[in-house]
Amino acid sequence: MSKDQIRLVDTDIHERVQYEDILEYLDEPFKHYIKNCHWVQEKHMPYTQPSVAGVDRADTVVPDGRLPGTDLAFMQEQLLDDLDHEYGVLTSALDPSPSSMHGWYEMATALASAYNDWQINNWLEKDDRLYGSVHINAHDRDGAIKEIERVGSHPKMVQVLLPIDDIMWGDPFYHPIFEACEKHNLMIGMHHNEPPVYYGKWPRYFIEWHTLISTAHMKIVTNMIFNGVFDKFPNLGLMMIEGGYTWIPHLMWKMDQQYRDLRHEVPWLKRKPSQIFKDQIRVTTQPAEELTKHEFESLVEQMGSDEILCFSTDYPHWDYDSPTRALPNMDPDLKRKIFADNAKAFYPKLP
Amino acid sequence: MKEQVVCKTTDIEPGEMMKSDFGKQNVLVCRTLDGEFYAFRNECTHQGAPLDKGMICGATTEESKPGDYHYCRKGEIIRCPWHGREFDIKNEGRMLANPNKKLPGFKLRIEDDDVIVYK
Ligand code: FES
Repeated sequence: MSKDQIRLVDTDIHERVQYEDILEYLDEPFKHYIKNCHWVQEKHMPYTQPSVAGVDRADTVVPDGRLPGTDLAFMQEQLLDDLDHEYGVLTSALDPSPSSMHGWYEMATALASAYNDWQINNWLEKDDRLYGSVHINAHDRDGAIKEIERVGSHPKMVQVLLPIDDIMWGDPFYHPIFEACEKHNLMIGMHHNEPPVYYGKWPRYFIEWHTLISTAHMKIVTNMIFNGVFDKFPNLGLMMIEGGYTWIPHLMWKMDQQYRDLRHEVPWLKRKPSQIFKDQIRVTTQPAEELTKHEFESLVEQMGSDEILCFSTDYPHWDYDSPTRALPNMDPDLKRKIFADNAKAFYPKLP
Repeated sequence: MKEQVVCKTTDIEPGEMMKSDFGKQNVLVCRTLDGEFYAFRNECTHQGAPLDKGMICGATTEESKPGDYHYCRKGEIIRCPWHGREFDIKNEGRMLANPNKKLPGFKLRIEDDDVIVYK
């Protein structure tokens, strides 16, 4: 391999569990509800994911017909080997998704633990390149802390995944979760979980909702910064996943301007918001807006840091980004940062 | 490579497509519902997805009004397997949302039951 070649660190890969595969990791009575009562999690989106094969790339179905993301060997062949990944961070638990259950929290907590065990056994311990996310039940803070204590020290767990949904995580009530993360050298990853971007409701069309997912990211970043999370937990980092990246300069400018006027309300902030962002927040690139080289480089300059962006594919989902095609050509040093070094510098547990 | 048989006419039913090779190039051979054949490069102009893994279908059309869908062109639209961009088979492979972009096409003729792509 030439020394200019960059091996990808992919910050958003979706492995997928099938309900029957998780049974062996569940206790009763939860096993019973899935096995005998055929429980499946209710989802709320009124639309189909309007692509050729639902939420997935149509060519990611496992050759034997199983659902995309369910088979490590096929993921290795199609993604990790083919693109020569150095590392990949798993971010799934979408169905079932303990974090997006709005009720029956006993089930959600049990599912989170079962999912983590399944993830460790079937993925993290089977491929050196794969690192994982600790899943928790978002509506059970103390249960979440227990789960972080239980699996957070696993050498390949790099972050705790919190949903971007209807919870404002900056609230001091949730700070014990961040304390537990710091203790285990875990970062926070936040991935959208069908957030209510339109005043708590679904817009009429999927395209409206999908266009504005980044607003949910902006809300939670604003909330975490002004609630003082990053001042209180200086070793904590936040990876904002799957909201694109062109919103970053806007939010930095807006927060800084507001801070100059309204600092008195949040006196615990010791740095200006854009500095906190640069120090402790990272953003995955997918779904990448289509910028020219000039637009892209100018945008990175507007961020005031080339250490924020981290490339992600979102494999196997339909809005997957190809590492060779999604971003414009760029300077090799910048490219190395975005495709590998920024993520490595961010996650303390990545070699 | 000047010309090559890429498949038999019987290999593709109307409304279907398949991939084949033309020299070193990967070709997508499409057959519309009227029985006509067309050939394009089997690679999406967006991020390079293999188009044969997508689908041939119809499309909601320009005649649609807000709140009132108009769907036709069945068997004439290629949808990419990744981001779902739509390409019009009968209009030089042009993308519906941006007709300035089109799939590179190949010349094609039928001889007996051979589908032949040529330069
Ligand atoms: S690769 Fe075809 S639509 Fe994106």
